[in-house]
Amino acid sequence: MRRIVVSGLGAVSPFGAGVKTYWDGLDAGACAIRPVTLIDTAGFRCRLAAEVPGPLAGSARRSRADRLALGAAREALDDAGLAAAERRDAALVVGAVGGGMLEAEGWYWARRRGGPMPVAGTLRPILPSAHAEMLGHRLHLEGPRATIVTACSSGAAAVAAAAELIADGVVSVALAGGADALTRICYMGFNALKLLDPAPCRPFDRERKGMSIGEGAGFLVLEEASHAVARGARIYAELAGAGSTTDAFHVTAPHPDGDGMARAMRAALAAAGVTPSEIGYVNAHGTATPQNDRIEARALAAVFGEGRPLVSATKSMIGHTMAAAGALEAIATVLALVRERVPPTAHLVTPDPDVPFDCVAGTARDVVVDHAMSNSFGFGGQNVTLLFRRT
Amino acid sequence: MKHRVVITGVGTINPALHGDSTAIASWLAGLGPRPERPRRIDDRALETLLDGTEARRLSRPCRMSVVSARAALADAGLPGGDSLGLVVGTEMGDLRSTIEFADGYLGSGPSGCSPLLFPNTVMNTMAAATTIAVGARALSLTLNAPTVAGELAVAYAAGAIAAGRMDAVLAGGVDELDALCAEMLSVLGDRGDRGEGATYLVLESWEHARARDARPLGEIRGTAWRALVARPHGVGRGVTSRAVASALGQARCAPSEIAWLYSSANGDVARDRWEQGVLRAAGIARGRPGVSLTETVGHHAGLGALRVAAAAWSTRAGRLPGDPLERVGGDAFGPGAPGLVHGLARGGTHVALVVGPPPA
Repeated sequence: MRRIVVSGLGAVSPFGAGVKTYWDGLDAGACAIRPVTLIDTAGFRCRLAAEVPGPLAGSARRSRADRLALGAAREALDDAGLAAAERRDAALVVGAVGGGMLEAEGWYWARRRGGPMPVAGTLRPILPSAHAEMLGHRLHLEGPRATIVTACSSGAAAVAAAAELIADGVVSVALAGGADALTRICYMGFNALKLLDPAPCRPFDRERKGMSIGEGAGFLVLEEASHAVARGARIYAELAGAGSTTDAFHVTAPHPDGDGMARAMRAALAAAGVTPSEIGYVNAHGTATPQNDRIEARALAAVFGEGRPLVSATKSMIGHTMAAAGALEAIATVLALVRERVPPTAHLVTPDPDVPFDCVAGTARDVVVDHAMSNSFGFGGQNVTLLFRRT
Repeated sequence: MKHRVVITGVGTINPALHGDSTAIASWLAGLGPRPERPRRIDDRALETLLDGTEARRLSRPCRMSVVSARAALADAGLPGGDSLGLVVGTEMGDLRSTIEFADGYLGSGPSGCSPLLFPNTVMNTMAAATTIAVGARALSLTLNAPTVAGELAVAYAAGAIAAGRMDAVLAGGVDELDALCAEMLSVLGDRGDRGEGATYLVLESWEHARARDARPLGEIRGTAWRALVARPHGVGRGVTSRAVASALGQARCAPSEIAWLYSSANGDVARDRWEQGVLRAAGIARGRPGVSLTETVGHHAGLGALRVAAAAWSTRAGRLPGDPLERVGGDAFGPGAPGLVHGLARGGTHVALVVGPPPA
């Protein structure tokens, strides 16, 4: 069995560019959810989102999502210190949902309203696969390449798929993560579903009213352990296991018993050879919708019993960054192991009695944790759990 | 590969046919040199293949996906369940629903945004509808790629079975031919010959298939996917294919043993030339009979999976379907000979599968 380690991290988050900026924001329990500036919000109930602050690095001719992706992916590869030949053979697995939709919307809005048309090239990166094509070209990656769309768990699913390529011996190194920019369709859709809180979201709070959406990108360099050791790489943590399941229940709602979520967590535990009692921290999907948090808590209780482990929700600070969420939250989980500090759940004032866990309200906590999980769930009942081990 | 991977069921729906492996075999055997080519699947015919609720609720690509997946599972005699996975390849997703959602807002403002349409704007909507319809509760993935999404989905699923992570996976592709989608693609200079439809294969480990007395239609002996250097949406210059070499290596097969070829030729002249160069450099194209089937149903993600199903038929029938305009050359090769299914996309994503006859 080939062990897989994390040897590079990259993030562009609503706190700004860079992993350090991301962690500093999480550690401080800061909130990056603010009034939307990128799109017209007139007439909508919620007018907040967690946007990545400008100016963005990279060419303005690229889509916003491509620029977020490139910033995070480049940081992860540089952090890993890979040689050019190792990069060339690396796999690239990208979780994506919106692709270049923000720019394509501009084209379509103009076409419908009869305004001046943006140049046709703005349509080119419309598909989610555009990120992988751009990253592969710019970063000279010629290994296996895939774009995975599992809605809000896309980033985590990409990390799990990349780990499989290493475990199967196809590659020794993989760059995996997710990216998404705010889009009109996403913002309007979640408004239409009445899933957005007009105030910054409050995961696990009894008074929570829904989620906040966000944008960003997160990438991890995964590496076969002996390969990383041989080249003297810095190892952040081991990706000890992953579990992916499907509810096959409803297009948007999770299974009411949390069955698929619990199966994903148990599959990750089994893959890692770890018992539930060894898990010290779970970075929850924690969207702050009344339904998701209640059902995730139910699934956690089914796997771990009530009361432990520690649980917190990164989305309380950076919103739900869609395809990037699973990757950014995986990075937060890895850093919690490395820094021996669990990031908090912001805005958690009145814990929901239906969530029988210590959700690390408000302030980060110093805790040495040996194993931690990151949960990601998406529309279509797409559940992914990543399990990391301290090294 | 720890486990041998067999194809035990096929289901397809496209403008030319709907059905299982038997229907596909009969269609392939009867293909003439210039097949008639309807452009779109008949909506009324599609509705009759679903129950009333599904026909009312599901978008067109979701309907295609569900119909095709059910046909494949029925062909294989396999039920859904906790151990059945799904891998869906798609190039365009449900773009029509995205456009309709946007039209709602542009026509009526915020009150025009439909909460029912919104989930369809996410590209995994076909996977969601299909897992619900067939009860597939293991891993479910949607892979997005230009040109090769269907082949990539089959290769990905075969890899998961070969490694022992999954016992049974529905794998294939689905795309819809939509007028605005075609307009957007033409703005971008897309010259491919497009179509629509969905095709799924049931892939199983040979042990799993044998234990339940399933009938194997063919074996996927090797799979690999890599990237060739190219600009986004561009055609590259490099022709050295590590994907073909790796797939052949897994299959323990020399290039000279590959008797026939299904390529991803789709009428995009620059891309087609690039693929021919890659296949020549891999020692495959020259002197091999080859087809792409694009002329018969048009390029879409389902066609990638249909090529793999057709390849399994070719190993049994000992010939390629009649389509001499697309053939590179050569004659019938006899049953049992292995062949290659190959896909190469603008941007460089690149897939190779070696398909052989069913295990004895």
